[in-house]
Amino acid sequence: MFWLGLIVLIPLAGIFTRAASLGLSDFFTILVDPRILEALKLSFGGALIGALINTLVGPVVAWVLVRYEFYGRGIVDAVIDLPFALPTAVAGLALAALYAPNGWLGAPLADAGIKVLFTPLGVIIALTFIGLPFVVRTLQPVLADLEPEIEEAAATLGASRWQTIRKILLPALLPTLLTGFALAFARAVGEYGSVIFIAGNLPYKSEIAPLLIIIKLEEFNYPAATAIAAIMLVMSFLILLIVNLLQGWARRRTGYAG
Amino acid sequence: MDVTEKSAPIRIDVKDLRKSFGAFAALDGVSFTVQPGELLALLGPSGSGKTTLLRAIAGLSPAEQGTIHFNDEDATTLSLRERRVGFVFQHYALFRHMTVFDNIAFGLRVRPRRERPAESEITQRARRLLEFVQLGGLEKRFPAQLSGGQRQRVALARALAIEPNLLLLDEPFGALDAKVRKELRAWLKDVHRETGLTTLFVTHDQEEALELADRVVIMRNGRIEQIGTPSEVYEEPATPFVCEFLGNVSKFDCTIRDGEAEVAGSLFPVGEENGLNGPGVAYVRPHEFEIVIDEHGEGLPATVKSVRPFGPTVSVELVLAGRDGPIEIAVPRELIGLGDVQPHRVVHIRATAARIFAAG
Repeated sequence: MFWLGLIVLIPLAGIFTRAASLGLSDFFTILVDPRILEALKLSFGGALIGALINTLVGPVVAWVLVRYEFYGRGIVDAVIDLPFALPTAVAGLALAALYAPNGWLGAPLADAGIKVLFTPLGVIIALTFIGLPFVVRTLQPVLADLEPEIEEAAATLGASRWQTIRKILLPALLPTLLTGFALAFARAVGEYGSVIFIAGNLPYKSEIAPLLIIIKLEEFNYPAATAIAAIMLVMSFLILLIVNLLQGWARRRTGYAG
Repeated sequence: MDVTEKSAPIRIDVKDLRKSFGAFAALDGVSFTVQPGELLALLGPSGSGKTTLLRAIAGLSPAEQGTIHFNDEDATTLSLRERRVGFVFQHYALFRHMTVFDNIAFGLRVRPRRERPAESEITQRARRLLEFVQLGGLEKRFPAQLSGGQRQRVALARALAIEPNLLLLDEPFGALDAKVRKELRAWLKDVHRETGLTTLFVTHDQEEALELADRVVIMRNGRIEQIGTPSEVYEEPATPFVCEFLGNVSKFDCTIRDGEAEVAGSLFPVGEENGLNGPGVAYVRPHEFEIVIDEHGEGLPATVKSVRPFGPTVSVELVLAGRDGPIEIAVPRELIGLGDVQPHRVVHIRATAARIFAAG
């Protein structure tokens, strides 16, 4: 408890006192700055989309890793952690190179008329990339715990494959899926290093909120920086609260208390 | 109580079933018939293929070769849904996020719309099944809130809800403690009687198989060693393996001559004509010995190691000269004077019956 207070709560309180010293009217002036609004929208929107994509793709990846024996499974399993382990700047550079108009993936996409580099799409791709391990790693143990017999039981009772997935597997995984979503989202909102290279940071277009904080800091505009930080904090907190409530609800439905 | 629509129970014909996992033959040519309404035990040590056989009949993991018929219908061409097999798993395999009630109703609710009963009928049927498995009032519980025995009852009710053609149980009591196991055993017998379903269960517990089943299939290394009623397999085991597997026996090397087995100078009576001659093995169960107190009497000399005078029979451990490990015999309490059978005393033992097989 003491450590939690020291490490988490004091810095958070610091941000709020700093932001509070601004005064309400100044605070709102900063808030309605369209550049800041756009950046916040991109950060939260991108994180949300990225986390949603991961919530769809993550279970499939986790499923394959848990249920199938195949050559090179260990390697694939290790690669999942790469976004965790890679210094974010390295990840950012790699992504930027990959999706550049002359990159491996960027070139075919550019031919198809899709521009990734320096667009919100690039931001979303980066945020999806760094969020995937959170969903996969939270799901893996739960999936491993779901015995194949559960599915066999459903099949002998006459359920089709789709009915088994929809009525048995998804509900069983829902609480964990929400946890994975929350983690991926939380990480993506604050992500900085791996995004800025691919995003290009064009104001009003592909500039993310954490970067804007840095910019404000470099301009010695501390009040603006803390104001953005405070807003991000409140929004993140709200979203995590909602996810937690959803989780509680999903758990209660499965008969596990708490 | 009427829990399943009483259509006539079905006959199962299994012919030459084969399946292997890599180089390991899990089923190596298995053929047998289950009579309509029969309660049949598949008994064997682990790795004998009994569970593989059960899963093949259920359609969960099809065999590579051979046929399975339900009455005259080739079951191997049927989908799992069409087979309508009530399957009960060792670890229950209940749906944890569903209440007891929803678990039981699941098989009815996933039916295609035109075959699905009305929700009111589903409710009624699930209630009736809950009563039948003696869990009335627990329908709103989740599996995590039930004991192991209760969970297995739910699993059985869930399997019965689909009005199965036959009931298959894979080590249904394997995960339960001894007391609950005994209770559920008696209860399964009742369930079988009341449903009249053709029922197969897998077990590695010979006592369970002999107590419950109409007939027992004893398996070893993917093959059937013997099929018979409990008394047949117990009294007239077809192979040494069956003899050793079905409970406590003592094994003696013997010489078979003119239908009698000679063990170290003592003759073991062998019930029937067997046409055997030469070296063999004789198996004697604990209650087929008698003790002769006279030190110069006939029979095999043996030194008493321990006496456990509990219950209707007295269990005596004896050490025989030239034999590794003691043998255990059980004699009725009234037939021995306990004063004469004391540790370290030398007595003689005689077999009153034995099963013999040619050696090798």
